Amino acid sequence: MDNEFKETEKLYRAVYPPDVMDMFWKKDGTISSAAFADPKGLSVDRGNYRTDSEVISDMKKRFTGNIVSVYVKNCYDAGAIVRYLPSKKNQYHSEIHGSTDTPLLSKYQRRFLALRAVTVC
Amino acid sequence: MLIAKQMDIRANIKKYFDLAYNGETILVPRKESKNIVIMSEDEYNRITRAERLGSYAEKITAAKSSAIAEGISSIRNDNLSKLENIRNLKDNWNGNGAPALPINLIEKTRKLLEDLPIQPEIFPTALSTIQLEYDNSRRDHMEIDIGQSDMAEIFIVTYFGKEITENIQATSDAISRRVIQFYG
Repeated sequence: MDNEFKETEKLYRAVYPPDVMDMFWKKDGTISSAAFADPKGLSVDRGNYRTDSEVISDMKKRFTGNIVSVYVKNCYDAGAIVRYLPSKKNQYHSEIHGSTDTPLLSKYQRRFLALRAVTVC
Repeated sequence: MLIAKQMDIRANIKKYFDLAYNGETILVPRKESKNIVIMSEDEYNRITRAERLGSYAEKITAAKSSAIAEGISSIRNDNLSKLENIRNLKDNWNGNGAPALPINLIEKTRKLLEDLPIQPEIFPTALSTIQLEYDNSRRDHMEIDIGQSDMAEIFIVTYFGKEITENIQATSDAISRRVIQFYG
């Protein structure tokens, strides 16, 4: 894996807090844009073309809450950028940033991604 | 409506009964306004039926108003309960270092929720704010960020993608006015 993300790759976001699992879900079943606000950049696991089940199984080793996915294309369409930032614990760790110099997604970007996010577990 | 004296009625009772039977109403004035109205059974039934329907409609309207009030109250209770969950979030609640939300922000939001006539959906953010969300029937979306300042930041995205950003006083009056405008 390198820092190149194709539009067709999926990104998976663990939605915290795991002990209040519906904290960010709206009554209509969609996720709130508030779940995409992080001043340090939005942490995600890149899919690297694994199946949803494989990704979920891997993420559940570190996390017990809900997981949503978006496509890299969704990020690009919102004007956001995706960075591959692997760690020792997680080789898939990546972040979605608002721009090259601003980790926080703008309100428009958050809403854009929230509308396109798919709950996978 | 015809008006006839008692004397006339007595002398021509069949004539007046026939008139009443054919749809006329006859008022018979008496002393001390103890007046009498003569009408057909059909007319009497029509009036009493209308009266019953009117009473039924009033009951329906009252029931609807009560149901709406109960609905708002139920959503408010759900929000206040969720606010308690938000109050209980500890440092690092988002797994990426987000601080617990300040107590004065929780209290400020609780007061707003108690006062707002149109209840939002509420969400915490890792920016130490609480986001109030509204969606109207035109499919426009409004977010109101409540932080520790006296101002609230409003972000609206219309169905057609137009973005609007505003700052208003973070008071229930100012927010209520903006919300009503959003739904108007």
